[in-house]
Amino acid sequence: MNPSDIHIGLKGVKKSYGKKEILRGIDLTVRRGEILSLVGPSGSGKSTLLRCINRLIDIDSGEIRVDGKDIRKIDPVELRRRVVLMPQNSVMFPGTVMENVMTPLKIAGIEGEKRVVNALRDSGVPEELFHRDAEKLSGGEKKRVALARAIALRPEALLLDEPTAGVDPKKVELIERSILDMVKKRRLTVIWVTHDTEQALRVGNRIASIKDGKVVKVGKKDGFEWEGVY
Amino acid sequence: MGGGLLSGIPYTPEQALLTMAMAGVLIVVAVALMRMKRLGTEKEYLYALLKGGVQIFLLALFLTYIFSSPYWYLLIWILLIGMVLVAGRTSAKRASGMPDAGSVTTPAILTGSVVVIVVLALSGAMPMSPQFIIPLSGMVFGNSMTICSLTSERFLREIRLGKDRVESALSLGIPSEIAMDEFGKQAIKAAIMPTIDRLKTLGIIFIPGAMTGLIMAGTDPLVAAEYQMIIYFMITGGGMITAALTIYLMRKKVFTKAEQLAEWV
Repeated sequence: MNPSDIHIGLKGVKKSYGKKEILRGIDLTVRRGEILSLVGPSGSGKSTLLRCINRLIDIDSGEIRVDGKDIRKIDPVELRRRVVLMPQNSVMFPGTVMENVMTPLKIAGIEGEKRVVNALRDSGVPEELFHRDAEKLSGGEKKRVALARAIALRPEALLLDEPTAGVDPKKVELIERSILDMVKKRRLTVIWVTHDTEQALRVGNRIASIKDGKVVKVGKKDGFEWEGVY
Repeated sequence: MGGGLLSGIPYTPEQALLTMAMAGVLIVVAVALMRMKRLGTEKEYLYALLKGGVQIFLLALFLTYIFSSPYWYLLIWILLIGMVLVAGRTSAKRASGMPDAGSVTTPAILTGSVVVIVVLALSGAMPMSPQFIIPLSGMVFGNSMTICSLTSERFLREIRLGKDRVESALSLGIPSEIAMDEFGKQAIKAAIMPTIDRLKTLGIIFIPGAMTGLIMAGTDPLVAAEYQMIIYFMITGGGMITAALTIYLMRKKVFTKAEQLAEWV
């Protein structure tokens, strides 16, 4: 692979909480514009890995590079606007749906209601919800607003932590479709964490599986061998 | 001393001891009621009375010594430094889990208190004699300590409860200062609201301590009221400085330089 094709690269990434080793030497590369499905059992370190890339936590050893640059050398606020994490728990800020999407933009010094509206539409948020209290939305609606909040920043990459977890099964496909359409339109690099193997196959270009803090397998989705993944 | 308006108050320690012994009948009443209600608090109550009594008498002896000492201005420095250190340490215990909490609480209490003491001294509200400096400083430090404890305790609780919200904000590139702003405001509000509520009911539900003392000592009630208001200016002003500084200094502990929530949170 041409090194300039690598958007996010991890090498020997280790992270422990106290004596508990969560990540035990992760090596992984994500190409520009691809969707990498990251699968693995609960507690395997998937969410921790995303938090490390977004630098919500620091790694103990190894390195994480974005566009070839060590993330420790990038201003963390700037990094998080470029590589946005959508946590599993979509917590809304106090205020309306529009305000939720507008707030991070305003803080970044960006004005633009149009950008907010576009992000909301692309995320599949119906217009009648735009002025509703965001904290009173359903789980699925909150996920979409969280997605709009993330993409309104026009990031280069999205780190999605179980973006359809807890959503009504009938609406999972709708959310998946919104994300996929938007990712295609905006040419985003995505790491999509899921525990659902079928979803991993539906959304990803490649699949990586981790278990006990180590990468077990990485490969194209066609012909991906699931044995030993769980 | 004695005579005039003050003639009703005993002015020798012997007279006061007798009065205290007679008022001690209230201890018997309290203990009897505790027993009757089977509260099981008699021992603790008597121990607290004894401990508090010993402390206050030691303080009285110390004050008597300072008031008459030609080196009072030196001794006062020792006393004030001691007050700050004890207040900082006491308050630090409320910030559960925060490493080196004293490096937040002590400067916050010190700054809030020093500003007030300087204003009181420059405005003439606090004459430069130990009879005024010691009790007023004690009041200022005590108040700043309470405000600091309430602020830090509430702030930590809010941040821990709202951890997901803070991290959601951080993950979108919102700087920690803004991500925690709401929780900081809530903590300051919670710390100063009791004082504001007390101000609103001033003179209606209760006569505050300093005014009571001044009236009992024969001061014109109007002057006593004016002095009481000065004390409230100092409590609210110093309290706000302490609370704001507590939050400012805590941010540097709660968040790392890389704008992450510190692991101990």
